[in-house]
Amino acid sequence: MEKSLVTNEISAVKLRGVGDGFKLTLDPTMPEEVILKEITALFEPLKHLSVNTKVVLDIGNVQGYDNLIRDIKFLLKSRFDVGGVIQHSEKISGVGKDSGSTINHRSNSNKDNSRGWVTDRSDALILTGRVRSGQKIETQSHLIIAGNVNPGAELTAGGNIIVLGALLGQVYAGYPDDEYAFVMALDFRPTQVQIGGVVSIEINSEFVGKPVFATVKDNKIITEDYIKTQPFGKIQWPTVM
Amino acid sequence: MEGKIIVVTSGKGGVGKTTATASIGAALALEGNRVAVIDMDIGLRNLDVVLGLENRIVFNIVDVVNKRCNLSQALIRDRRIENLFLVPASQSDNKDVLTPLGVQRVAKQLKSEFDYVIMDSPAGIEKGFENSVVAADEAIVICTPDVSSIRDADRVIGLLYARSITPRLVVNRIIPEMVARGDMLSHEDVMDVLSIDLLGLVPMDDQVVVSTNTGMPLVMQNQSLAGQAFRRIAKRINGEPEIPIQVPTAMKTGFWSKITQKLGLTK
Ligand SMILES: Nc1ncnc2c1ncn2[C@@H]1O[C@H](COP(=O)(O)OP(=O)(O)OP(=O)(O)O)[C@@H](O)[C@H]1O
Ligand SMILES: [Mg+2]
Repeated sequence: MEKSLVTNEISAVKLRGVGDGFKLTLDPTMPEEVILKEITALFEPLKHLSVNTKVVLDIGNVQGYDNLIRDIKFLLKSRFDVGGVIQHSEKISGVGKDSGSTINHRSNSNKDNSRGWVTDRSDALILTGRVRSGQKIETQSHLIIAGNVNPGAELTAGGNIIVLGALLGQVYAGYPDDEYAFVMALDFRPTQVQIGGVVSIEINSEFVGKPVFATVKDNKIITEDYIKTQPFGKIQWPTVM
Repeated sequence: MEGKIIVVTSGKGGVGKTTATASIGAALALEGNRVAVIDMDIGLRNLDVVLGLENRIVFNIVDVVNKRCNLSQALIRDRRIENLFLVPASQSDNKDVLTPLGVQRVAKQLKSEFDYVIMDSPAGIEKGFENSVVAADEAIVICTPDVSSIRDADRVIGLLYARSITPRLVVNRIIPEMVARGDMLSHEDVMDVLSIDLLGLVPMDDQVVVSTNTGMPLVMQNQSLAGQAFRRIAKRINGEPEIPIQVPTAMKTGFWSKITQKLGLTK
C-alpha cells in the first residue's frame, strides 16, 4: 500500500516529519542522480532542523540497491549532519503503523500534505519594534510583531497575528472573514480583538502576563493560556500555517 | 557655533508644555546660555503671560515669518534673567498664517544667534504641530500620568520618529501620594508604554500657578519642587546628562499636619 503511494508520486522522493525525525520514501528504480538531487533539494531548506535527527529510509519491498542506500546515507550524514539513517524494515514498519495511519488520515484531504510543509509557502509579515498609538499595520498575510503594540495602535492581518511582546492595542486577524485565524501574544491585554466577523466584547483578563491564544469558538472569541492549552500540541508534524 | 532648536510638544492640551518651555528656557539662561523661547501657539498665546512679559509685546512670530518686521524687533528681553528672550505668538491670527518654509527660515536665523531656541508647540497634531517641529533638532514630549495623555504622547512620539527627531520625555504633574496609593500611574507605567529616554519627572506644585499669576519664573523660586525639577532637566539638556532622575516622593508629615490629623481636620 505504501508502495502504491510512492509510485503515484510524480517525484522520486518524498519527505515528511515523523515523531522526532524524518521519513524519506523513494522509488529506487529512478536514476540515482535524480534521487540524490531531490533529496538535496528537500533537505536544503531544513538544514537547521535535520542536524542529529533520525532518518528512516523507505525504498519499498525491493531487494538490492545497496550502493544507492550507501550513497544516500553518505549524502545525508556528510551534508546535512543527520544523526542516523536506518532502513525501513519489517520491524520498523510495525512501529510505522502509526505513520501509516497518518498517511490515510492525510489522504482524506484533497491536498497532498505529506510534503506540504516542504513545498508550500507561508507568507508572513515579520516586523520588529514598538507599534505606537495612531500607527496602523495592515497585511494580507500573517503578521508577526517582535515588539510591543501600544494602546491606540491597530493591526490587521488576513491571517494570524502573533505578538512577541505586550499587545495593548487593537487587532483584527483573519480579515475580512476567516474565523479560523488566531491571535497570540506573550502579554495579552488588547483593547479590542476581532477575528473574522467576530468582535470581542470584553476581553478576559485572567491570563495577565501569560502567553495567550485567542480563537473563535461558537461565534465568540475565546482566550486560553497558551502554555497550558498547547493548541498546536496535537499537530504531529510541521505543517504550513 | 550653531545653537539647538528644541520643540516642546505633547499632543494633548493642558499638560504643561508652556510651563515647561518657560521654565526650561529660564533655567538654561540661568546656566549662562543665550536662550530664545518661541510661542508657536498662534491664536492662543500664553508664554508671554507665564513669563510676565505680556505688556511689552509689539511684534510677534507671525510678523517675523511674514516679514512685517525683523527678528530683533520681535525679540523681547526678560528683565530678571539675562540672556532670556521671548518671541510671542500673535493672538489674532489662526495657525494657517505660518508656513513650514517660513518657519524654517526664521529658525535658521534664531539658531545662529542663540544657544538654545525652545519652541512651545500648540496642542494637537495638525498644522500648528507641523510648524513647530519642522525646524526642530530635538524634541521634549510632555505627558501627565494619565491614560489619555500617554496615548497622545505616544502618537506624537511616532510622528517625531517619522521625522527623524528623537524625543525625550518629561512626566509632569506627578502626585506622589496618589502614586503611592495606586491611584495614579507611576512614571514606570508611563515608561512601559512610551519607552523613550526620560529627561525628568516634575511633581504637581502649587507654586506653578503662583508663578504664572505673578510672572515670577518658577525656576527662581528656590522652594518650588517643580522649579527644582525643571532646573535639573535644563542641566541634563545642557551637557550634564548624568544628573540622576529624582522620583517625586510624598512629603514628610510635618508637625502641623500631624496635629491636624489628630484633630480629625484632614483624613
Ligand atoms: N507641575 C505642575 N504643577 C501644578 N500645576 C501645573 C504644573 N504644570 C502645569 N500646571 C498647570 O496646568 C495648566 C496647564 O499648563 P500649561 O499651560 O503649561 O499647559 P499646555 O500644555 O501649555 O497647555 P495648552 O495645550 O493649552 O497650550 C496651567 O494652569 C498650569 O499652571
Ligand atoms: Mg500652552
